Amino acid sequence: MNPQQDTHPEAFNVNADSSELGQTREKDPAIVTRTLAAPFVVRAKGLKKIYKMGEETVHALNGVDFNVKRGEYISIMGPSGSGKSTLFNMIGGLDKPNEGRIYIDDVDIASLDTLELAWLRCHKIGYIFQSYNLIKVATALDNVMLPMTFAGKQQAEAQDKAVYLLEQVGLGDRVLHKPLEMSGGQQQRVACARALANDPSIVLADEPTANLDSKTGEEIINLLREINEKQNVTIITATHDHKMLAVSDRIAWVRDGRMDRIQERADIKITKGEMHGI
Amino acid sequence: MNHDPQHRANEEEIQPLSLHKIVRIAVRGIKVRIWRSVLVVSGIVLAMAFLSYILCSDAFARNVLEYGSRDLIRHLTAEGIINLETIADQRVQTYWVAGLALLISLAGIMNAMLMSVTERFREIGTMKCLGALTGFIMKLFLIESLFAGVLGTTLGLIIGFGLAYVEGYFTYGGEVTALFPPLHLLLSILFCFITGILLTLLGAVYPARLAAKMSPVMALRSEM
Ligand SMILES: Nc1ncnc2c1ncn2[C@@H]1O[C@H](COP(=O)(O)OP(=O)(O)OP(=O)(O)O)[C@@H](O)[C@H]1O
Ligand SMILES: [Mg+2]
Repeated sequence: MNPQQDTHPEAFNVNADSSELGQTREKDPAIVTRTLAAPFVVRAKGLKKIYKMGEETVHALNGVDFNVKRGEYISIMGPSGSGKSTLFNMIGGLDKPNEGRIYIDDVDIASLDTLELAWLRCHKIGYIFQSYNLIKVATALDNVMLPMTFAGKQQAEAQDKAVYLLEQVGLGDRVLHKPLEMSGGQQQRVACARALANDPSIVLADEPTANLDSKTGEEIINLLREINEKQNVTIITATHDHKMLAVSDRIAWVRDGRMDRIQERADIKITKGEMHGI
Repeated sequence: MNHDPQHRANEEEIQPLSLHKIVRIAVRGIKVRIWRSVLVVSGIVLAMAFLSYILCSDAFARNVLEYGSRDLIRHLTAEGIINLETIADQRVQTYWVAGLALLISLAGIMNAMLMSVTERFREIGTMKCLGALTGFIMKLFLIESLFAGVLGTTLGLIIGFGLAYVEGYFTYGGEVTALFPPLHLLLSILFCFITGILLTLLGAVYPARLAAKMSPVMALRSEM
């Protein structure tokens, strides 16, 4: 569903062979033009999320406005408990805000019924989690194939693509391993491959490196950057990891449920000292 | 998007997950979790063996009373095995025990199923993130629990019936086998079979539905 891929035929363009998507596009030219025209993949307006725990109410998000440009790599940073994961879940359509609107490709996700929401999660968004969240009993191959199965792809086609994606993330020789037979870094690579299974426009990664050591974390960060550049997928990460700063196009600083400020990468170098003050 | 007819075409892509495919996924799930599956099934076997033993041995007793020859009943009374004066009290007692057995199997089976589903909330949340529909998750758990239910109930019934039969044989003698039509026995077996499968499905479907309906975030958060 990422029409911009067409301008990068030489890239790690795994959906070139996907006739399904071709069909969708033919049937649906309005979406393509609209999608190309929209500069923002994600627009969030006035997001509020309140958690009630008995007497206590927590304002996890307190009116957040947030736009994500198509094809960029943006990191959401902020102290623990500032609302990064909450924002992440709202953008991903995994949870609903109490107030405010989220548009993905100019579609208000609050207006989607469960079927449409499932379609969105399946086709438009790839998720990567801190704790990998692979299906433990399934092999790497089956894990990567699952979203394609949900998308109704043919078994053989899905399998070829899953193998291809696993090779791309450097796990060509681990295709039939189960998650528990792999290291954390390898599991996160499987999760990356799985996130790309249906050629999403957005990959959402919540603390993808938090459970990994520094070196493995860096490898995952580089992999995400590579995916971002080669596939032109928008990457949104929520993270504590300062290594992420080096690869992000923009950094959104969240504090106490508010968007503190958004910086371009160029500006970060100047204010580098601040990084340590988070 | 609701009002956009162009999106209807897209949604169709997510619907077709044939039953055949879901069965395959379910069978794979049972196989890889084989020890968990064995544990769940043994829970059902135990509960159903208990229930069917109580009900079948009661059915044997009733068969003897209703269809047994006068000679047999006279003989059994003389031996003190049946006492026609206290038989009404015994009947009430049996109902109590059967009720208790039913409660125990209810608790046992529901517990086994609840555990096996709640420990998979995370998996359900993950599948929802990947685009699974509630219907898919429901079918998956329905099929998995149907396998467990049919297998566990059948095994439990065989064990329970076998025990009741052996007991009946030693209590009433070989004539027990000749007592046909075994109406009470058939009813008991049918009752056990339906109860066992129903409880299994209920125990799986209720939590699975809960998990499938909750937001993926909630399902993912549950650490079990
Ligand atoms: N399900 C929940 N119930 C109650 N409160 C919650 C829930 N989820 C989050 N919160 C609260 O909302 C606030 C923001 O949480 P969130 O998980 O978004 O923080 P975060 O920035 O991701 O933190 P971390 O870096 O530690 O992951 C916190 O104060 C947290 O306690
Ligand atoms: Mg978090």
